[in-house]
Amino acid sequence: MTTSTEALEAHRPSAVLNALKRLGFGTVVSVPDSWLGEILTRIDREPGMTLVRATHEEEALAIACGSRLGGVRTALLVQNAGVLSMGAGMVSLAQRYQFPLLMLVSYRGTPDDPVFYHIPKGRATEPVFRGIGLAHACTDRYRPIGPQIEHAATYAEEASCPFAQLMGREDIQW
Amino acid sequence: MVTNARPTRTDYYRVLPGSLPSRALVVTSLGNASYLWASLHHAPENFYFEDAMGLTLPLALGLAIAQPDRPVIAVEGDGALLMHMGALVTIGAMNPSNLTILLIQNGVHAASGGQALTNAALDLAQLARASGIQHAENLNAPGALAARIAAAEKRDGVGVLILATEPDIEVVRPPISLDPVATKHRFMAAIEAPRYIPTLFDGGMLERP
Repeated sequence: MTTSTEALEAHRPSAVLNALKRLGFGTVVSVPDSWLGEILTRIDREPGMTLVRATHEEEALAIACGSRLGGVRTALLVQNAGVLSMGAGMVSLAQRYQFPLLMLVSYRGTPDDPVFYHIPKGRATEPVFRGIGLAHACTDRYRPIGPQIEHAATYAEEASCPFAQLMGREDIQW
Repeated sequence: MVTNARPTRTDYYRVLPGSLPSRALVVTSLGNASYLWASLHHAPENFYFEDAMGLTLPLALGLAIAQPDRPVIAVEGDGALLMHMGALVTIGAMNPSNLTILLIQNGVHAASGGQALTNAALDLAQLARASGIQHAENLNAPGALAARIAAAEKRDGVGVLILATEPDIEVVRPPISLDPVATKHRFMAAIEAPRYIPTLFDGGMLERP
């Protein structure tokens, strides 16, 4: 017999959404990609959460900083290419002002990604993250995803900085 | 004497403190937008940008959504707006009635020394309206600012006021340290924002002080 937690973890994107709700995330700011599309639709239907659909990832980052400044726990859902394009705002706003932000990042361009044109972004992602000092971790597909989201969110708050959790397709694509 | 000279940022800023609605939060862009405002009306409810050109409006949008019961006034320049024009579309889509944007149109990148803009002659009110912001208006006189801000209380949706000014290239010396982290903590304490309360071996939550 499976427990409800096991059933939830069987569908990892559901566990991600459940973790965000349980941890009190009130706002999600996003620029979508094909993996993120459906979970954003689900978030948009959540009565206790506000979804902001931004036009650019650096803009999304600033919206998230403003939301957290206003006292709302806030997550960013973006593709890794989007983090590559938000570098200036990351260092001069989010990191400079020490905003704790949870970033759930679809990790495109890995060997598991069937879309070949993402490969250049996949190769650049972690070296760039290290270069700009963006704390991050890759999800472990063999461990439950909910606690990994909570650890990432806790890291962001305890260290007063953005933290990027790099997510595989099975983690985030509904 | 009749003059065709545009007002200055200072002219508008002198009107602003007496025009602020009760419990207003003010977000100012980098450079003189922050330095001059800190000189004329420093308050813990001010959030000063130190850098991050172009990100004032999206930050103010996030703040307005997080604090729906407080008026949020954002001061941004035309050059910075051009760097992230998409933010106008997002603001128009979310359309928070508590957000009022004061857009300084001086035709140059004043914060970086007065370099020419890509296009200094855009009708920014029309641009805002095309972005889904119904209440957008060009102002040419500081005396009109107080009435427009007062009217914001009854406005349905975000408001944008374009303030035509002369460029102010000379850098104003701020009267206080604009240390970013101090600015953030001072602001969050002033609005009594929920704080993260940790637990020893588990994740914490945001709680009101």
